[in-house]
This record gives sequence, structure tokens and C-alpha cells, in this order.
Amino acid sequence: MNRRTLLGGLFAAASVPALAACSGGITSLNESSGSTAGGGSSKGGITIGTANFTENQVLGYLYAAVLQQAGVKVKVRPNLGTREIVIPALKAGDIDLLPEYQGALLNYLAPKDASAEPGTMQNALTLALPAGLQVLPYGQAADSDCFVVTRATARKYGLTSLADLAGQNGKLVIGAAPEVKKRRVGAVGLQEVYGVEFKEFKSLDSDGPLVKGALKKGDVDVANLFTTDTDIAANDWVVLTDPKNLIPSQHIVPLIADRKADDTVRKALARLGNVLTTDQLTQLNSQVDNDKKDPEDVAAAYAKQHGLA
Amino acid sequence: MFELFKNLGTWLTSGSQWAGQDGIAHRLGEHLQYSLLATLIAAAIGLPLGLLIGHTGKGAFVAINLASFGRALPTVGLVVLVFLAGGLSMLPVYVALVALAVPAIVTNTYAGMTAVDPDVKDAARGQGMRGHQVLLQVELPLALPLIMTGLRLALIQVVATATIAAYVSFGGLGRYVFDGLAQRDLVQVLGGAVLVAVVAVVLDLLLSSLQRFLFRHRTA
Repeated sequence: MNRRTLLGGLFAAASVPALAACSGGITSLNESSGSTAGGGSSKGGITIGTANFTENQVLGYLYAAVLQQAGVKVKVRPNLGTREIVIPALKAGDIDLLPEYQGALLNYLAPKDASAEPGTMQNALTLALPAGLQVLPYGQAADSDCFVVTRATARKYGLTSLADLAGQNGKLVIGAAPEVKKRRVGAVGLQEVYGVEFKEFKSLDSDGPLVKGALKKGDVDVANLFTTDTDIAANDWVVLTDPKNLIPSQHIVPLIADRKADDTVRKALARLGNVLTTDQLTQLNSQVDNDKKDPEDVAAAYAKQHGLA
Repeated sequence: MFELFKNLGTWLTSGSQWAGQDGIAHRLGEHLQYSLLATLIAAAIGLPLGLLIGHTGKGAFVAINLASFGRALPTVGLVVLVFLAGGLSMLPVYVALVALAVPAIVTNTYAGMTAVDPDVKDAARGQGMRGHQVLLQVELPLALPLIMTGLRLALIQVVATATIAAYVSFGGLGRYVFDGLAQRDLVQVLGGAVLVAVVAVVLDLLLSSLQRFLFRHRTA
């Protein structure tokens, strides 16, 4: 490469952020130090991070697929860790975009906020987020906590909703992760909102082999699982309905750094949010967990099939 | 940091923290119960086995390697495995704790037996002692210090590991560690950990003074 082409390349590379910055009314040439007041730009590419569980990785690759289709250069950094790791990474600029869940994110940012309805939660999130970060419109798919019983237990006690549990006070044993004992979306809220008193609380794991094994074997009557768990349908377990909206909405919501949030990104992710349903997401999770497929392939196939990529 | 230790002090000393179903006194009792029972079962298995292979010199290779294999078993994995096979009870916890304690007891008992001077055993036989007399009256007393060390080692490991009972919904001091981690209550986690450490150290000191008392007439 001779000097002229090298210089030309440098000029071209430098002019992209400069143009983007001008359109936002910012004069700085350096993108990362630019103010975020006028909205960001995805022209320099976007790095998507994901947390350390299957569904979040599937979502990350789905984001990647739709953004690529929209002409954005993307890089995925999967399996980074828990919220305690990925959110600081987002703030620090190591990653730019993250698939999140309304309720869980709000609980992380503002533990005392008791909003449960998706619209209110979206506002609460906007208020609670630190400067430089924003949430984009939430999608229709959701992965929330749920309380399930076996078909036999449901029949025996006539259970269809959480309210029915109060009719069996002192008889049923609940199994859940230890934190659920003290959580509002757990023993505390069930008591407050529905007046439910369990015979015993068994501290097990969070939608893992222990709690599911205990439910299967009848060691617990009620188990706290997640709605996108394919084992619920596979075992014909009954998800108890929540007529009084105790369980906050957990719609999937893109969390993005202001510096990268432009119209292209917003529209691409909104399109995905409109198409992807909870059932479909459950199926995608199952393809990765049960059929041992690669999350990237699963996401790409879905995006293609639904005209998103 | 200072704040944390101050809170830890408050947690450990407040009367309400010691009382009730989730109180320290009750959890401590549970922890001791799990640990002592598991160590007793392990001793009932490990002592005869170690004495037998030490006395006869047969099967040592197999037994010692099996014991090393037992040491390498991941305790939590074993708990989950037995749980999935048999359901929710204390059985998975005891199986895992016993599997952890047996190797230390077997290997130390065997080591104690092999350390007995062959000339002494020869002399005993020469005086007309029978096999079981040699074992009980000569080998066992001489091997006892190392056997006790094995038991102490096993008990310490079991006390430290009995926290996993809380993993499958039961009690003990592990309750504080697991609940504290899940509820992001660092003081509770630390409190539980400190208590486990204190129990382990105190039990070890008790056993070592017992050992010193028993062998007070011995010179070596």
C-alpha cells in the first residue's frame, strides 16, 4: 500500500464519524468523547453483549441478525456474565447494546420500584437509568417468573390461579431459589396480594434441576419457574394465572448506550420486537438447550424465516 | 470495609439472631448434627476397612485408589445426582459428606497400621498372640495417633462442607451462606462463613486435646 491510499483510507475513516457528528449538531471529531444529547450513531458498528444464559445469547444473535440486515456492522460478545458484570461493561463502553428484561432490569436499578405494568415500567426504567444509557421500545416476547403446579395437583386442589392457592393455606409446599423467600415476586407478595400461606418454603435453585426434580417427584407442590422454560409444556405443568398482576412484566427490552442509538438501530430492533413471541423464543431456547444447536445459527435461521434478515 | 465488620459484629451478637427456627443456635445444632452423624457413619465404614487392609496388607492398592477417587468426587455433583435419583431428603447430603470423609479415615488408618514396626508385630506373634490380638492389642494402639489424625481431618472437611445441606433446602450454617448470597446480604454470608470456621477450629482443638489427654503417657 502506498502512502496516498493509506492517507485516503484514514481520511475516509475519519470522515464518517465527523459527518455523523455534524448531523447531530456536534463539532467534535472524536465520536467517543462527543456529547450524547443529539442521539448517537451506529455507523462505527455496534458491539452486542449478552449475559451468561441461553436465552440472552439467542436474543443477542437475533439483535445481530436484524442489525446486519439494516446495514449496521455488528460484533457479538456472548456469555459475558451476570447483570453485575454486563451493565458496568456497557457503561464503560466495552459493549454498546444488551438484551434486557423490564422487571429484572428495573429491580437492579431501582429495587424499591413496584411498577408491574409494561408501560409504567418503561417510564420507570427511563427515570432509573444512569446518564448515557437508554431503553428502546419493548418487544412482545416476555420471560417472566411464574408459579407452576403439576396437572395432578391442579386437579386435586382445583388450582388455576394464584388466588386459588389461598384456599389451601397451610397445605402446600413451595420450592424456589433462596431469594424468592424474601422477594415480593415470591413468598412475600403471594402473602400480601393473595393471602397465601405455604406449609413450607424449600430453598432450591432458580429454574434448575433441583426445583424441577422436586416438582416432578412431588417433594414440592408449587414451583417458581420461568415462562420460557420448555419443560413446563413437556411435563404438562400448569402455570397459575396472576389476576392481580403481582408478577412484573418481563418484556424483552433493548438496553443501549446513547452514543449508538440511532434511527436505523431503533427501527430494526422494533421490527424484531413486533415479530418475536414468547412461544417462539421458548422454541429457540429449546433448540439450543435440548437439540444442542448453536445459538448463532438458531437466531440466523429464525431471522431469515421471518423476513428479518 | 469497617462498616461491614461492624455490621458483622452486630449480626453475630444480637439476641434476635440467635433465637428461633432461623436463629444461630438452631442452625448451629443442625450443622453439628449433620457433621457428627456423617463423620460417625464414615468412621464406621472407614475404620474397619483401613484396619483390615493395614493388618492383612491385602487390597491396599485397590482401597487406597478407591479412596483417592472418592476424594476427587465433586460434592455438589454427587448431591444433585443422588437427589435426582432418590428425591428430596437428607440422603443426598449424607451420601456426599460420607464420601468426602471416608478417604481421609481409610488412608490415615492404613498409614498408621503400616507405620507399626514389623519387629514389634513379629515379637507379638512370637509370644503366641493370635491375629486379632496382634491387631487389637499391638497394632491398633500404636496406630491410634494417625487414626485420630484421620478422624480429625475428616471431621474438619465435613464441618466445612456440611453447608451444602442448605443447597437442597435443609438447614445448618450453610443456610446463611446460600440465603445471603441469593439475597445479596453480604453480612449474612460472612456471618455464616465465620461461624463455620469457628466450629471447625473449636472441634479440631477439642479433638486434639482429647488426643493429647489419651496419649499423655506416651513419649514419642
